[in-house]
Amino acid sequence: MSEAPPPAPLLQVDGVSVRFGALVALSQVSLEIARGEILAIIGPNGAGKTTLLNVVSGFYHPYEGRIVFEGEDRTRLRPYEVAALGVARTFQNVALFKGMSVLDNIMTGRLLKMRGSFLLEALYWGPARRQELEHRAFVERVIDFLEIQAIRKTAAGRLPYGLQKRVELARALAAEPKLLLLDEPMAGMNVEEKEDMSRFVLDVNSEFGTTIALIEHDMGVVMDISDRVVVLDYGRKIADGPPEQVRKDAAVVDAYLGVSHD
Amino acid sequence: MTELLWAVAVAPFKDMAGSPAFFVEVVLGGIFTGLMYSLVALGFVLIFKASGVFNFAQGVMVLFAALTLVGLMERGAPVVLALVLTTAVMVVLAFAIERIVLRPLVNQEHIILFMATIGLNFFLEGFGEMAWGANVKKLDIGIPDRSFIVSGVQINELELTAALTSAVLVVILAVFFHRTRIGRALRAVADDHEAALSVGISLTTIWVVVWSVAGLVAIVAGIMWGAKSGVQFSLSLIALKALPVLILGGFTSVPGAIVGGLIIGVGEKLGEVYWGPLVGGAIENWFAYVVALAFLLVRPQGLFGEKIIERV
Repeated sequence: MSEAPPPAPLLQVDGVSVRFGALVALSQVSLEIARGEILAIIGPNGAGKTTLLNVVSGFYHPYEGRIVFEGEDRTRLRPYEVAALGVARTFQNVALFKGMSVLDNIMTGRLLKMRGSFLLEALYWGPARRQELEHRAFVERVIDFLEIQAIRKTAAGRLPYGLQKRVELARALAAEPKLLLLDEPMAGMNVEEKEDMSRFVLDVNSEFGTTIALIEHDMGVVMDISDRVVVLDYGRKIADGPPEQVRKDAAVVDAYLGVSHD
Repeated sequence: MTELLWAVAVAPFKDMAGSPAFFVEVVLGGIFTGLMYSLVALGFVLIFKASGVFNFAQGVMVLFAALTLVGLMERGAPVVLALVLTTAVMVVLAFAIERIVLRPLVNQEHIILFMATIGLNFFLEGFGEMAWGANVKKLDIGIPDRSFIVSGVQINELELTAALTSAVLVVILAVFFHRTRIGRALRAVADDHEAALSVGISLTTIWVVVWSVAGLVAIVAGIMWGAKSGVQFSLSLIALKALPVLILGGFTSVPGAIVGGLIIGVGEKLGEVYWGPLVGGAIENWFAYVVALAFLLVRPQGLFGEKIIERV
Protein backbone atom coordinates (compact mmCIF):
# COMPACT_ATOMS: atom_id res chain seq x y z
CA MET A 1 0.00 0.00 0.00
CA SER A 2 2.45 2.71 1.02
CA GLU A 3 6.13 2.94 0.30
CA ALA A 4 8.97 2.39 2.73
CA PRO A 5 8.60 4.62 5.81
CA PRO A 6 10.57 7.87 5.74
CA PRO A 7 13.63 8.04 8.00
CA ALA A 8 12.18 10.04 10.92
CA PRO A 9 9.17 8.32 12.47
CA LEU A 10 6.25 10.41 13.66
CA LEU A 11 6.09 8.59 16.95
CA GLN A 12 8.53 6.40 18.82
CA VAL A 13 7.56 4.30 21.78
CA ASP A 14 10.80 3.37 23.44
CA GLY A 15 10.97 0.56 26.03
CA VAL A 16 7.71 1.57 27.68
CA SER A 17 6.43 -0.30 30.72
CA VAL A 18 3.19 0.37 32.58
CA ARG A 19 2.20 -1.19 35.86
CA PHE A 20 -1.00 -1.03 37.85
CA GLY A 21 0.10 -2.16 41.28
CA ALA A 22 1.46 -5.65 40.80
CA LEU A 23 -0.08 -6.05 37.36
CA VAL A 24 2.28 -5.37 34.50
CA ALA A 25 0.12 -4.06 31.67
CA LEU A 26 2.96 -3.23 29.31
CA SER A 27 6.47 -4.50 29.51
CA GLN A 28 9.34 -2.92 27.58
CA VAL A 29 7.29 -2.24 24.50
CA SER A 30 9.06 -0.44 21.67
CA LEU A 31 7.56 0.50 18.35
CA GLU A 32 7.58 3.24 15.78
CA ILE A 33 4.84 4.80 13.76
CA ALA A 34 5.97 6.19 10.43
CA ARG A 35 4.41 9.28 8.90
CA GLY A 36 1.46 8.48 6.72
CA GLU A 37 1.05 4.83 7.57
CA ILE A 38 -1.86 2.87 8.96
CA LEU A 39 -0.66 0.76 11.84
CA ALA A 40 -2.89 -1.90 13.35
CA ILE A 41 -2.33 -3.02 16.92
CA ILE A 42 -3.77 -6.46 17.60
CA GLY A 43 -3.63 -9.02 20.35
CA PRO A 44 -5.85 -11.10 22.61
CA ASN A 45 -7.98 -9.47 25.30
CA GLY A 46 -5.91 -8.00 28.10
CA ALA A 47 -2.79 -7.84 25.95
CA GLY A 48 -2.27 -4.15 26.71
CA LYS A 49 -3.49 -2.61 23.46
CA THR A 50 -5.69 0.05 25.04
CA THR A 51 -3.05 0.71 27.67
CA LEU A 52 -0.59 1.41 24.88
CA LEU A 53 -3.01 3.87 23.31
CA ASN A 54 -3.59 5.50 26.68
CA VAL A 55 0.14 5.94 27.18
CA VAL A 56 0.57 7.50 23.76
CA SER A 57 -2.32 9.91 24.35
CA GLY A 58 -1.12 10.89 27.82
CA PHE A 59 -3.91 9.30 29.86
CA TYR A 60 -1.35 7.02 31.53
CA HIS A 61 2.29 7.67 32.16
CA PRO A 62 4.81 4.84 31.85
CA TYR A 63 7.02 4.04 34.81
CA GLU A 64 9.88 3.41 32.46
CA GLY A 65 10.60 4.16 28.84
CA ARG A 66 10.01 7.18 26.63
CA ILE A 67 7.47 8.47 24.16
CA VAL A 68 8.94 10.62 21.41
CA PHE A 69 6.65 12.55 19.11
CA GLU A 70 8.15 14.40 16.13
CA GLY A 71 11.59 14.07 17.69
CA GLU A 72 10.56 15.57 21.04
CA ASP A 73 10.32 13.66 24.29
CA ARG A 74 6.80 13.96 25.62
CA THR A 75 6.57 11.04 28.03
CA ARG A 76 5.11 13.11 30.88
CA LEU A 77 2.58 15.23 29.05
CA ARG A 78 -1.04 15.35 30.12
CA PRO A 79 -3.85 14.36 27.74
CA TYR A 80 -4.81 17.92 26.80
CA GLU A 81 -1.18 18.76 26.08
CA VAL A 82 -0.85 15.71 23.88
CA ALA A 83 -4.00 16.79 22.06
CA ALA A 84 -2.43 20.20 21.50
CA LEU A 85 0.54 18.51 19.81
CA GLY A 86 -1.78 17.03 17.21
CA VAL A 87 -2.78 13.63 18.55
CA ALA A 88 -6.50 12.85 18.43
CA ARG A 89 -8.19 9.69 19.58
CA THR A 90 -11.41 7.77 19.91
CA PHE A 91 -12.40 5.47 22.74
CA GLN A 92 -13.34 1.82 22.93
CA ASN A 93 -16.63 2.61 24.69
CA VAL A 94 -17.40 5.79 22.73
CA ALA A 95 -16.82 8.96 24.75
CA LEU A 96 -19.14 11.52 23.22
CA PHE A 97 -20.78 14.54 24.77
CA LYS A 98 -24.14 12.82 24.85
CA GLY A 99 -26.24 15.83 25.68
CA MET A 100 -24.78 17.98 22.91
CA SER A 101 -25.75 17.89 19.25
CA VAL A 102 -23.57 16.08 16.74
CA LEU A 103 -22.49 19.43 15.33
CA ASP A 104 -21.51 20.76 18.78
CA ASN A 105 -19.65 17.54 19.49
CA ILE A 106 -17.59 17.90 16.36
CA MET A 107 -17.06 21.61 17.04
CA THR A 108 -15.36 20.71 20.33
CA GLY A 109 -12.70 19.10 18.16
CA ARG A 110 -11.85 22.62 16.97
CA LEU A 111 -11.49 24.08 20.47
CA LEU A 112 -7.71 23.96 20.36
CA LYS A 113 -7.66 25.87 17.10
CA MET A 114 -9.76 28.74 18.41
CA ARG A 115 -8.17 31.91 19.61
CA GLY A 116 -9.27 35.32 20.58
CA SER A 117 -11.14 37.43 23.00
CA PHE A 118 -13.82 36.05 25.13
CA LEU A 119 -15.74 39.32 25.11
CA LEU A 120 -15.89 39.37 21.33
CA GLU A 121 -16.99 35.76 21.38
CA ALA A 122 -19.75 36.56 23.82
CA LEU A 123 -20.91 39.39 21.58
CA TYR A 124 -20.41 37.16 18.52
CA TRP A 125 -18.87 40.07 16.74
CA GLY A 126 -15.93 40.87 14.44
CA PRO A 127 -13.04 38.42 14.38
CA ALA A 128 -14.80 36.07 16.77
CA ARG A 129 -17.70 35.69 14.36
CA ARG A 130 -15.39 35.17 11.40
CA GLN A 131 -13.45 32.58 13.36
CA GLU A 132 -16.59 30.71 14.36
CA LEU A 133 -17.72 30.63 10.74
CA GLU A 134 -14.35 29.36 9.52
CA HIS A 135 -14.33 26.54 12.03
CA ARG A 136 -17.91 25.79 11.22
CA ALA A 137 -17.00 25.50 7.54
CA PHE A 138 -14.26 23.00 8.32
CA VAL A 139 -16.60 20.98 10.51
CA GLU A 140 -19.14 20.88 7.69
CA ARG A 141 -16.44 19.43 5.45
CA VAL A 142 -15.78 16.69 7.98
CA ILE A 143 -19.52 16.05 8.25
CA ASP A 144 -19.80 15.71 4.47
CA PHE A 145 -16.75 13.51 4.37
CA LEU A 146 -18.17 11.07 6.91
CA GLU A 147 -21.65 11.28 5.43
CA ILE A 148 -23.45 12.31 8.61
CA GLN A 149 -25.24 15.40 7.25
CA ALA A 150 -28.65 14.07 8.21
CA ILE A 151 -27.91 13.76 11.92
CA ARG A 152 -25.97 16.94 12.56
CA LYS A 153 -28.63 18.44 14.86
CA THR A 154 -29.39 15.23 16.74
CA ALA A 155 -28.19 14.82 20.32
CA ALA A 156 -25.25 12.43 20.18
CA GLY A 157 -26.63 10.23 22.97
CA ARG A 158 -29.70 9.34 20.92
CA LEU A 159 -27.80 7.90 17.98
CA PRO A 160 -27.33 4.20 17.35
CA TYR A 161 -23.95 2.85 18.35
CA GLY A 162 -22.46 2.64 14.87
CA LEU A 163 -23.23 6.29 14.18
CA GLN A 164 -21.86 7.35 17.56
CA LYS A 165 -18.57 5.77 16.58
CA ARG A 166 -18.64 7.73 13.35
CA VAL A 167 -19.36 11.00 15.19
CA GLU A 168 -16.47 10.29 17.51
CA LEU A 169 -14.23 9.84 14.48
CA ALA A 170 -15.56 13.12 13.08
CA ARG A 171 -14.70 14.94 16.29
CA ALA A 172 -11.17 13.54 16.19
CA LEU A 173 -10.81 14.54 12.53
CA ALA A 174 -12.04 18.07 13.23
CA ALA A 175 -8.86 18.61 15.21
CA GLU A 176 -6.83 17.98 12.00
CA PRO A 177 -4.56 15.58 13.88
CA LYS A 178 -1.14 14.47 12.75
CA LEU A 179 -1.67 11.18 14.52
CA LEU A 180 -5.08 9.58 14.88
CA LEU A 181 -5.54 6.83 17.45
CA LEU A 182 -8.60 4.64 17.05
CA ASP A 183 -9.53 2.22 19.80
CA GLU A 184 -11.62 -0.53 18.19
CA PRO A 185 -13.39 1.72 15.70
CA MET A 186 -15.42 -1.19 14.35
CA ALA A 187 -16.34 -3.01 17.54
CA GLY A 188 -19.99 -3.98 17.71
CA MET A 189 -20.68 -3.03 14.11
CA ASN A 190 -22.37 -5.10 11.46
CA VAL A 191 -20.61 -6.04 8.23
CA GLU A 192 -21.94 -3.08 6.30
CA GLU A 193 -20.97 -0.57 9.00
CA LYS A 194 -17.53 -2.15 9.19
CA GLU A 195 -17.08 -1.72 5.46
CA ASP A 196 -18.08 1.94 5.72
CA MET A 197 -15.71 2.52 8.60
CA SER A 198 -12.83 0.78 6.80
CA ARG A 199 -13.43 2.98 3.79
CA PHE A 200 -13.41 6.11 5.99
CA VAL A 201 -10.16 5.08 7.65
CA LEU A 202 -8.52 4.53 4.27
CA ASP A 203 -9.92 7.80 2.90
CA VAL A 204 -8.75 9.81 5.92
CA ASN A 205 -5.31 8.35 5.42
CA SER A 206 -5.12 9.04 1.70
CA GLU A 207 -6.97 12.39 1.52
CA PHE A 208 -5.69 14.12 4.65
CA GLY A 209 -2.43 12.18 4.87
CA THR A 210 -3.22 11.44 8.52
CA THR A 211 -1.11 8.83 10.25
CA ILE A 212 -3.38 6.29 11.92
CA ALA A 213 -2.85 3.73 14.64
CA LEU A 214 -5.83 1.53 15.34
CA ILE A 215 -6.75 -1.35 17.59
CA GLU A 216 -8.93 -3.91 15.92
CA HIS A 217 -10.10 -7.44 16.53
CA ASP A 218 -11.53 -8.24 13.13
CA MET A 219 -8.61 -9.88 11.31
CA GLY A 220 -10.22 -9.43 7.93
CA VAL A 221 -10.36 -5.68 8.46
CA VAL A 222 -6.82 -5.56 9.82
CA MET A 223 -5.39 -7.43 6.85
CA ASP A 224 -7.31 -5.24 4.42
CA ILE A 225 -6.52 -1.77 5.62
CA SER A 226 -3.26 -1.75 7.54
CA ASP A 227 0.24 -1.15 6.20
CA ARG A 228 1.80 -2.73 9.22
CA VAL A 229 0.67 -4.80 12.19
CA VAL A 230 2.01 -4.88 15.74
CA VAL A 231 0.97 -7.79 17.92
CA LEU A 232 0.85 -7.56 21.71
CA ASP A 233 0.42 -10.47 24.10
CA TYR A 234 0.57 -10.24 27.90
CA GLY A 235 1.95 -6.72 27.65
CA ARG A 236 4.81 -7.67 25.34
CA LYS A 237 5.30 -7.04 21.68
CA ILE A 238 5.54 -10.41 19.96
CA ALA A 239 5.44 -9.40 16.30
CA ASP A 240 5.78 -6.34 14.11
CA GLY A 241 5.61 -6.31 10.33
CA PRO A 242 3.47 -6.28 7.20
CA PRO A 243 0.10 -8.06 7.56
CA GLU A 244 0.99 -11.11 5.40
CA GLN A 245 4.11 -11.74 7.42
CA VAL A 246 2.46 -11.32 10.81
CA ARG A 247 -0.34 -13.67 9.83
CA LYS A 248 2.12 -16.52 9.37
CA ASP A 249 4.16 -15.73 12.47
CA ALA A 250 4.27 -18.72 14.83
CA ALA A 251 4.20 -16.64 18.03
CA VAL A 252 1.10 -14.81 16.81
CA VAL A 253 -0.69 -18.02 15.96
CA ASP A 254 0.17 -19.29 19.44
CA ALA A 255 -1.10 -16.18 21.14
CA TYR A 256 -4.43 -16.43 19.35
CA LEU A 257 -4.95 -20.16 19.35
CA GLY A 258 -3.07 -21.11 22.48
CA VAL A 259 -1.11 -23.88 20.71
CA SER A 260 2.13 -24.85 22.34
CA HIS A 261 5.25 -25.65 20.34
CA ASP A 262 7.45 -27.96 22.29
CA MET B 1 -64.70 18.71 58.82
CA THR B 2 -66.23 21.03 56.26
CA GLU B 3 -64.87 23.96 58.25
CA LEU B 4 -61.36 22.59 57.98
CA LEU B 5 -61.72 21.96 54.26
CA TRP B 6 -63.06 25.46 53.85
CA ALA B 7 -60.13 26.91 55.81
CA VAL B 8 -57.54 25.00 53.77
CA ALA B 9 -58.97 24.95 50.27
CA VAL B 10 -61.24 27.96 49.94
CA ALA B 11 -60.58 30.69 52.48
CA PRO B 12 -56.93 31.40 51.49
CA PHE B 13 -57.90 31.88 47.85
CA LYS B 14 -60.76 34.11 48.89
CA ASP B 15 -58.26 36.20 50.82
CA MET B 16 -55.98 36.41 47.78
CA ALA B 17 -58.81 37.54 45.54
CA GLY B 18 -60.10 39.91 48.19
CA SER B 19 -56.93 41.99 48.27
CA PRO B 20 -55.01 41.57 45.00
CA ALA B 21 -52.48 44.29 45.74
CA PHE B 22 -51.42 42.57 48.93
CA PHE B 23 -51.28 39.26 47.08
CA VAL B 24 -48.95 40.77 44.48
CA GLU B 25 -46.75 42.18 47.24
CA VAL B 26 -46.48 38.76 48.85
CA VAL B 27 -45.57 37.22 45.49
CA LEU B 28 -42.95 39.91 44.84
CA GLY B 29 -41.45 39.30 48.26
CA GLY B 30 -41.35 35.61 47.40
CA ILE B 31 -39.67 36.30 44.07
CA PHE B 32 -36.97 38.31 45.81
CA THR B 33 -36.28 35.57 48.34
CA GLY B 34 -36.52 32.99 45.59
CA LEU B 35 -33.91 34.76 43.48
CA MET B 36 -31.47 34.57 46.36
CA TYR B 37 -32.09 30.84 46.58
CA SER B 38 -31.69 30.62 42.82
CA LEU B 39 -28.32 32.35 42.92
CA VAL B 40 -27.00 30.01 45.59
CA ALA B 41 -28.45 27.00 43.77
CA LEU B 42 -26.85 28.24 40.55
CA GLY B 43 -23.44 28.14 42.21
CA PHE B 44 -24.15 24.55 43.26
CA VAL B 45 -25.27 23.52 39.79
CA LEU B 46 -22.25 25.02 38.02
CA ILE B 47 -19.78 23.19 40.21
CA PHE B 48 -21.78 19.98 40.24
CA LYS B 49 -22.08 19.89 36.46
CA ALA B 50 -18.44 20.58 35.75
CA SER B 51 -16.77 18.50 38.41
CA GLY B 52 -19.40 16.25 39.96
CA VAL B 53 -18.62 17.83 43.31
CA PHE B 54 -21.52 18.67 45.55
CA ASN B 55 -20.17 21.87 47.06
CA PHE B 56 -21.44 22.06 50.60
CA ALA B 57 -19.49 25.31 51.07
CA GLN B 58 -21.50 27.32 48.54
CA GLY B 59 -23.49 29.04 51.28
CA VAL B 60 -20.36 29.97 53.18
CA MET B 61 -18.88 31.31 49.97
CA VAL B 62 -21.83 33.72 49.87
CA LEU B 63 -21.08 34.74 53.43
CA PHE B 64 -17.36 34.97 52.81
CA ALA B 65 -17.85 37.17 49.74
CA ALA B 66 -20.17 39.50 51.64
CA LEU B 67 -17.82 39.62 54.64
CA THR B 68 -14.86 40.45 52.45
CA LEU B 69 -16.77 43.20 50.69
CA VAL B 70 -17.99 44.77 53.94
CA GLY B 71 -14.59 44.35 55.56
CA LEU B 72 -12.88 46.17 52.73
CA MET B 73 -15.45 48.93 52.74
CA GLU B 74 -15.07 49.35 56.50
CA ARG B 75 -11.40 49.87 55.93
CA GLY B 76 -12.18 52.77 53.66
CA ALA B 77 -12.21 51.21 50.20
CA PRO B 78 -14.77 52.81 47.85
CA VAL B 79 -17.55 50.50 46.61
CA VAL B 80 -16.09 49.88 43.17
CA LEU B 81 -12.61 49.12 44.46
CA ALA B 82 -14.01 46.86 47.14
CA LEU B 83 -16.01 44.98 44.50
CA VAL B 84 -12.96 44.51 42.29
CA LEU B 85 -10.88 43.32 45.23
CA THR B 86 -13.61 40.95 46.41
CA THR B 87 -13.82 39.50 42.91
CA ALA B 88 -10.06 39.02 42.95
CA VAL B 89 -10.29 37.30 46.34
CA MET B 90 -12.94 34.89 45.05
CA VAL B 91 -10.83 34.04 41.97
CA VAL B 92 -7.77 33.44 44.15
CA LEU B 93 -9.95 31.27 46.35
CA ALA B 94 -11.01 29.26 43.27
CA PHE B 95 -7.36 28.68 42.33
CA ALA B 96 -6.51 27.68 45.88
CA ILE B 97 -9.44 25.27 46.14
CA GLU B 98 -8.51 23.61 42.85
CA ARG B 99 -4.86 23.30 43.85
CA ILE B 100 -5.19 22.35 47.51
CA VAL B 101 -8.51 20.52 47.72
CA LEU B 102 -9.61 19.17 44.34
CA ARG B 103 -6.39 18.21 42.60
CA PRO B 104 -5.10 15.86 45.30
CA LEU B 105 -8.53 14.20 45.45
CA VAL B 106 -9.00 13.68 41.74
CA ASN B 107 -10.77 10.40 40.89
CA GLN B 108 -11.82 9.86 44.48
CA GLU B 109 -15.36 8.86 45.37
CA HIS B 110 -17.92 11.64 45.28
CA ILE B 111 -18.51 11.28 48.99
CA ILE B 112 -14.84 12.06 49.67
CA LEU B 113 -15.02 15.26 47.66
CA PHE B 114 -18.27 16.11 49.40
CA MET B 115 -16.57 15.66 52.77
CA ALA B 116 -13.75 17.89 51.59
CA THR B 117 -16.23 20.66 50.84
CA ILE B 118 -17.67 20.28 54.35
CA GLY B 119 -14.15 20.89 55.59
CA LEU B 120 -13.90 23.86 53.26
CA ASN B 121 -17.17 25.11 54.71
CA PHE B 122 -15.77 25.18 58.25
CA PHE B 123 -12.46 26.60 57.14
CA LEU B 124 -14.06 29.50 55.27
CA GLU B 125 -16.40 30.22 58.15
CA GLY B 126 -13.55 30.33 60.64
CA PHE B 127 -11.23 32.19 58.31
CA GLY B 128 -13.88 34.77 57.49
CA GLU B 129 -14.53 35.34 61.16
CA MET B 130 -10.85 35.61 61.93
CA ALA B 131 -10.17 38.04 59.12
CA TRP B 132 -13.22 40.25 59.34
CA GLY B 133 -14.72 39.74 62.81
CA ALA B 134 -17.91 38.03 63.90
CA ASN B 135 -20.36 40.84 64.53
CA VAL B 136 -23.30 41.63 62.30
CA LYS B 137 -22.32 44.20 59.72
CA LYS B 138 -24.36 46.57 57.71
CA LEU B 139 -23.72 46.47 54.00
CA ASP B 140 -24.53 49.69 52.24
CA ILE B 141 -23.71 49.78 48.56
CA GLY B 142 -25.72 52.89 47.89
CA ILE B 143 -29.05 51.35 46.89
CA PRO B 144 -31.70 52.78 49.20
CA ASP B 145 -33.94 50.36 51.07
CA ARG B 146 -37.13 52.30 50.41
CA SER B 147 -40.31 51.65 48.53
CA PHE B 148 -42.49 53.26 45.94
CA ILE B 149 -46.04 52.45 45.00
CA VAL B 150 -47.24 51.36 41.58
CA SER B 151 -51.03 51.07 41.26
CA GLY B 152 -51.48 50.18 44.88
CA VAL B 153 -48.58 47.72 45.04
CA GLN B 154 -45.66 48.57 47.23
CA ILE B 155 -42.33 47.87 45.52
CA ASN B 156 -39.04 47.92 47.34
CA GLU B 157 -36.22 49.56 45.40
CA LEU B 158 -33.54 47.33 46.83
CA GLU B 159 -35.49 44.20 46.00
CA LEU B 160 -36.19 45.46 42.51
CA THR B 161 -32.49 46.17 41.95
CA ALA B 162 -31.61 42.75 43.27
CA ALA B 163 -34.09 41.06 40.98
CA LEU B 164 -32.85 42.93 37.93
CA THR B 165 -29.20 42.29 38.79
CA SER B 166 -29.88 38.59 39.17
CA ALA B 167 -31.70 38.51 35.85
CA VAL B 168 -28.79 40.27 34.12
CA LEU B 169 -26.32 37.89 35.75
CA VAL B 170 -28.27 34.88 34.53
CA VAL B 171 -28.38 36.25 30.98
CA ILE B 172 -24.63 36.93 31.04
CA LEU B 173 -23.95 33.41 32.27
CA ALA B 174 -26.19 31.92 29.58
CA VAL B 175 -24.37 33.85 26.85
CA PHE B 176 -21.02 32.88 28.34
CA PHE B 177 -21.93 29.20 28.31
CA HIS B 178 -23.37 29.07 24.85
CA ARG B 179 -21.23 31.46 22.88
CA THR B 180 -17.69 31.36 24.14
CA ARG B 181 -14.95 28.83 23.67
CA ILE B 182 -14.61 28.35 27.41
CA GLY B 183 -18.35 27.93 27.73
CA ARG B 184 -18.32 25.20 25.11
CA ALA B 185 -15.38 23.53 26.86
CA LEU B 186 -17.30 23.75 30.10
CA ARG B 187 -20.35 22.05 28.70
CA ALA B 188 -18.06 19.39 27.27
CA VAL B 189 -16.46 18.74 30.65
CA ALA B 190 -19.87 18.59 32.29
CA ASP B 191 -20.84 15.90 29.81
CA ASP B 192 -17.80 13.59 29.66
CA HIS B 193 -14.40 14.06 31.31
CA GLU B 194 -12.50 11.55 29.19
CA ALA B 195 -13.77 12.92 25.91
CA ALA B 196 -13.06 16.46 27.07
CA LEU B 197 -9.45 15.57 27.79
CA SER B 198 -9.07 13.95 24.40
CA VAL B 199 -10.09 17.11 22.55
CA GLY B 200 -7.51 19.09 24.47
CA ILE B 201 -9.49 20.60 27.35
CA SER B 202 -7.58 21.00 30.58
CA LEU B 203 -9.82 19.91 33.43
CA THR B 204 -7.94 21.96 35.99
CA THR B 205 -8.49 25.17 34.01
CA ILE B 206 -12.18 24.44 33.73
CA TRP B 207 -12.43 23.73 37.46
CA VAL B 208 -10.81 27.05 38.28
CA VAL B 209 -13.23 28.76 35.90
CA VAL B 210 -16.36 27.19 37.42
CA TRP B 211 -15.26 27.82 40.98
CA SER B 212 -14.50 31.43 40.04
CA VAL B 213 -17.91 31.82 38.42
CA ALA B 214 -19.52 30.22 41.48
CA GLY B 215 -17.55 32.76 43.54
CA LEU B 216 -18.90 35.64 41.44
CA VAL B 217 -22.44 34.36 41.80
CA ALA B 218 -21.78 34.16 45.55
CA ILE B 219 -20.70 37.82 45.58
CA VAL B 220 -23.93 38.92 43.92
CA ALA B 221 -26.03 36.80 46.29
CA GLY B 222 -24.00 38.04 49.26
CA ILE B 223 -24.46 41.69 48.34
CA MET B 224 -28.18 41.40 47.78
CA TRP B 225 -28.90 39.38 50.89
CA GLY B 226 -26.43 41.34 52.99
CA ALA B 227 -27.90 44.69 51.96
CA LYS B 228 -31.34 43.45 52.95
CA SER B 229 -30.66 41.82 56.27
CA GLY B 230 -27.08 42.61 57.24
CA VAL B 231 -23.99 40.49 56.83
CA GLN B 232 -24.03 37.85 59.51
CA PHE B 233 -23.21 34.21 59.91
CA SER B 234 -26.78 33.08 59.42
CA LEU B 235 -26.23 34.09 55.78
CA SER B 236 -24.55 30.77 55.19
CA LEU B 237 -27.79 29.05 56.18
CA ILE B 238 -29.50 30.07 52.96
CA ALA B 239 -27.37 27.35 51.43
CA LEU B 240 -29.62 24.88 53.22
CA LYS B 241 -32.59 26.41 51.42
CA ALA B 242 -30.78 25.83 48.16
CA LEU B 243 -31.06 22.07 48.72
CA PRO B 244 -34.82 21.85 48.22
CA VAL B 245 -34.39 24.20 45.27
CA LEU B 246 -31.93 21.76 43.72
CA ILE B 247 -34.20 18.80 44.35
CA LEU B 248 -37.04 20.70 42.71
CA GLY B 249 -35.08 22.02 39.76
CA GLY B 250 -32.64 19.19 39.21
CA PHE B 251 -28.98 19.14 40.17
CA THR B 252 -27.67 19.60 36.67
CA SER B 253 -29.95 22.24 35.24
CA VAL B 254 -29.24 25.97 35.23
CA PRO B 255 -32.83 26.92 34.29
CA GLY B 256 -33.94 24.40 36.93
CA ALA B 257 -32.02 26.25 39.63
CA ILE B 258 -33.69 29.52 38.67
CA VAL B 259 -37.23 28.24 38.30
CA GLY B 260 -36.85 26.03 41.39
CA GLY B 261 -35.66 29.00 43.45
CA LEU B 262 -38.63 31.09 42.37
CA ILE B 263 -41.12 28.31 43.09
CA ILE B 264 -39.70 27.73 46.55
CA GLY B 265 -39.44 31.45 47.32
CA VAL B 266 -42.95 32.31 46.20
CA GLY B 267 -44.40 29.08 47.57
CA GLU B 268 -43.06 29.55 51.06
CA LYS B 269 -44.18 33.18 51.23
CA LEU B 270 -47.69 32.34 50.05
CA GLY B 271 -47.80 29.38 52.42
CA GLU B 272 -46.68 31.50 55.33
CA VAL B 273 -49.15 34.31 54.72
CA TYR B 274 -52.26 32.42 53.66
CA TRP B 275 -51.95 28.97 55.21
CA GLY B 276 -49.54 29.67 58.06
CA PRO B 277 -52.16 31.01 60.51
CA LEU B 278 -53.97 27.65 60.39
CA VAL B 279 -51.10 25.96 62.17
CA GLY B 280 -49.91 28.93 64.15
CA GLY B 281 -47.48 30.33 61.59
CA ALA B 282 -43.75 29.82 60.93
CA ILE B 283 -44.26 27.32 58.15
CA GLU B 284 -41.87 29.33 55.97
CA ASN B 285 -38.95 27.52 57.50
CA TRP B 286 -40.00 24.01 56.65
CA PHE B 287 -42.34 24.47 53.70
CA ALA B 288 -39.51 24.15 51.17
CA TYR B 289 -38.39 20.83 52.57
CA VAL B 290 -41.88 19.38 52.42
CA VAL B 291 -42.14 20.39 48.77
CA ALA B 292 -38.75 18.80 48.14
CA LEU B 293 -39.84 15.61 49.86
CA ALA B 294 -43.00 15.44 47.78
CA PHE B 295 -40.89 15.93 44.67
CA LEU B 296 -38.50 13.17 45.61
CA LEU B 297 -41.42 10.78 45.72
CA VAL B 298 -42.87 11.80 42.39
CA ARG B 299 -40.04 13.10 40.26
CA PRO B 300 -36.64 12.41 41.82
CA GLN B 301 -34.70 13.93 38.93
CA GLY B 302 -36.37 17.30 39.49
CA LEU B 303 -38.21 19.45 36.99
CA PHE B 304 -35.34 19.84 34.54
CA GLY B 305 -32.84 17.24 35.68
CA GLU B 306 -31.64 14.37 33.58
CA LYS B 307 -33.48 11.17 34.20
CA ILE B 308 -31.00 8.62 35.37
CA ILE B 309 -31.69 5.18 34.04
CA GLU B 310 -29.06 2.70 35.01
CA ARG B 311 -28.71 -0.70 33.53
CA VAL B 312 -28.37 -3.33 36.20
